Amino acid sequence: MTVKVGIPRALLYYYFYPQWLSFFQHLDVEPVVSHRTTRGLLEKGLRSTVDEACLPVKLAVGHVLDLKDRVDYLFLPRLVSMARREYICPKFLGFPDMVRNTIDHLPPVIDINLDLYHKRSNAYNFFQTLGKMFTKNPARIYLAYRASCQAHGNYCKELESGALPGELKTLANSNGKNGGMADITIAVIGHPYNIYDRFISMDMIKRLFESGVNVVTADHLADSVIRQEAGKLPKQLFWTLNQRMIGAAYHYFNDPEIHGLIHVASFGCGPDSMTGELIERFARSRSTKPLLVLTLDEHTGEAGIVTRLEAFLDMVRWRRNLADVAATL
Amino acid sequence: MYGYLGIDVGSVSTNLVMMGEDGAVKHSIYLRTRGKPIEAVQAGLKMMKSALPSKIQVAGVGTTGSGRHLAGVITGADIIKNEITTHAIAASNVVPGVQTILEIGGQDSKIIILRNGVVADFAMNTVCAAGTGSFLDQQAFRLNIGIEEFGPLALQARVPVRIAGRCAVFAESDMIHKQQMGYNVEDILAGLCEALVRNYLNNVGKGKEILGPVVFQGGVAANAGMKRAFEKALETEVIIPPYFNVMGALGAALLAREATSRKKTDFYGFEVAEKDFKAGGFACDGCPNICEVVEITESDRVIARWGDRCGRWSDVLEQKEKIS
Ligand code: SF4
Ligand code: SF4
Repeated sequence: MTVKVGIPRALLYYYFYPQWLSFFQHLDVEPVVSHRTTRGLLEKGLRSTVDEACLPVKLAVGHVLDLKDRVDYLFLPRLVSMARREYICPKFLGFPDMVRNTIDHLPPVIDINLDLYHKRSNAYNFFQTLGKMFTKNPARIYLAYRASCQAHGNYCKELESGALPGELKTLANSNGKNGGMADITIAVIGHPYNIYDRFISMDMIKRLFESGVNVVTADHLADSVIRQEAGKLPKQLFWTLNQRMIGAAYHYFNDPEIHGLIHVASFGCGPDSMTGELIERFARSRSTKPLLVLTLDEHTGEAGIVTRLEAFLDMVRWRRNLADVAATL
Repeated sequence: MYGYLGIDVGSVSTNLVMMGEDGAVKHSIYLRTRGKPIEAVQAGLKMMKSALPSKIQVAGVGTTGSGRHLAGVITGADIIKNEITTHAIAASNVVPGVQTILEIGGQDSKIIILRNGVVADFAMNTVCAAGTGSFLDQQAFRLNIGIEEFGPLALQARVPVRIAGRCAVFAESDMIHKQQMGYNVEDILAGLCEALVRNYLNNVGKGKEILGPVVFQGGVAANAGMKRAFEKALETEVIIPPYFNVMGALGAALLAREATSRKKTDFYGFEVAEKDFKAGGFACDGCPNICEVVEITESDRVIARWGDRCGRWSDVLEQKEKIS
């Protein structure tokens, strides 16, 4: 019988799943991903968490609950740092402990540190420790690691060439860039676990597709572009994800093919409120592009979001038409 | 003679406007929604029909407001538009060159910034009561002042009392306190207006550049004390358009005129007022989303459904009204 490892469809799943999948498969371990977010799943998470936690963390707990009784291990790596001299939000760090402290009858939790902060640290240490749990053969681990890096590389390339993660990919193909139905392009800036989760984002990306909009996100940009843009900040931000968002926002503000930006923030997320502030400041002082800021929390009404989105698209199109008229004069 | 009908269904009020081909308002109606939007629309249609000369022909219908889809489905609207866009369209028609729209209704408020005739930015408040008209209603009620007397009294104030109005609850206790300290009612009322204006500018207007011409619309614009409080805070003239409380409906009518410029209207006619519509709903148990599906029926025939996240219920209807 193969060993089953549970991966919550939450937090950094949207970045690392292809890599994790490939690694586990090469070691004959079966990765099991939690179900898509539903209201029921979110409510379970809300009931088991403290009020101070941000919505994405509460949701991640819901995904853990969804998995815990059908897997042999829970894979909750402790993500400390994804890049040199950068950290990610401290809530990721505490997540495995929080899960242990709030949920009973858990299968064993794999919470190996992934910490790339220091010069000499690398991801191989992480995968080595992980691999040793399932095989004694170091060569197999090494090969699985290599394959996983390749999978990750391919995934990043796919995103950079315009794909979207997960099931949104198929949607994009029928309606997105290639469909030719879209007349405007909007950049959606936000945490991957907010914008790609169809429930949490109230299916924003699909709604945009259906309204004739091309969607681009930070993940469509090469890391180097993002870093270069974020380098324009007077002070380096040491939170990787927020650096990504700001870098991408700056880039898209200057990209003539982009008609407007939407910043999606989580209520109760410290890093988001800072990112939001920086993006809004930039929009006010250095750009004429429309910006819509949407803050999501568990009480957010769908109707309010839909009204704002509709009004935003009207505004973007209205302004574009005006610019078109001006250009022909 | 052709007319264009605009219908704005909000949670507090339902407004209808009949607009002539030239954009002038022929007749307007302001009703309480009282939680029954279908009945409000039907009652409004009846009143509209009897108020108009019989030779008028409806050439287009537009709906807006939080109940826009509902109103659109039952009347056969030519266009269904969100309330930001309709308010902006109406204001820039009435006051060409407007750059800022302040809109305060009973349960919500918004600010719309226009530049060069198009919307440049907007914000809405639908959560905090301290930034909406219900805040004034409540306090006026506590002071035993009719809402009609409110404005004129507030204008008589000499030294408006400063009321801590960050939140409706605090404002109330602070107001009681000020009353007990012997401040006169005029000064307290003016103070309330100023507190609401402060809240509005701090929440909804946060970070927005407010430039003139400034238009103030929505039900609360009826209160002269509010106009003065805005003018004082913004140090600029504030214009209140003649149909300030039905601007959403007027915008919808203007859009209906545009939408029907090359096609015939889909309007079902005033008979809609007599039909037997029902809004029902059920919780779908198809998956753990447990969507609350809204279902509109006409004489037991389902004419529209929405609220299902997966399309399981709305997609099976032939005549579906997409909520985009
Ligand atoms: S970055 Fe924000 S949303 Fe993400 S885990 Fe941290 S606090 Fe939560
Ligand atoms: S309508 Fe669809 S998404 Fe909603 S509960 Fe039913 S099956 Fe689930």
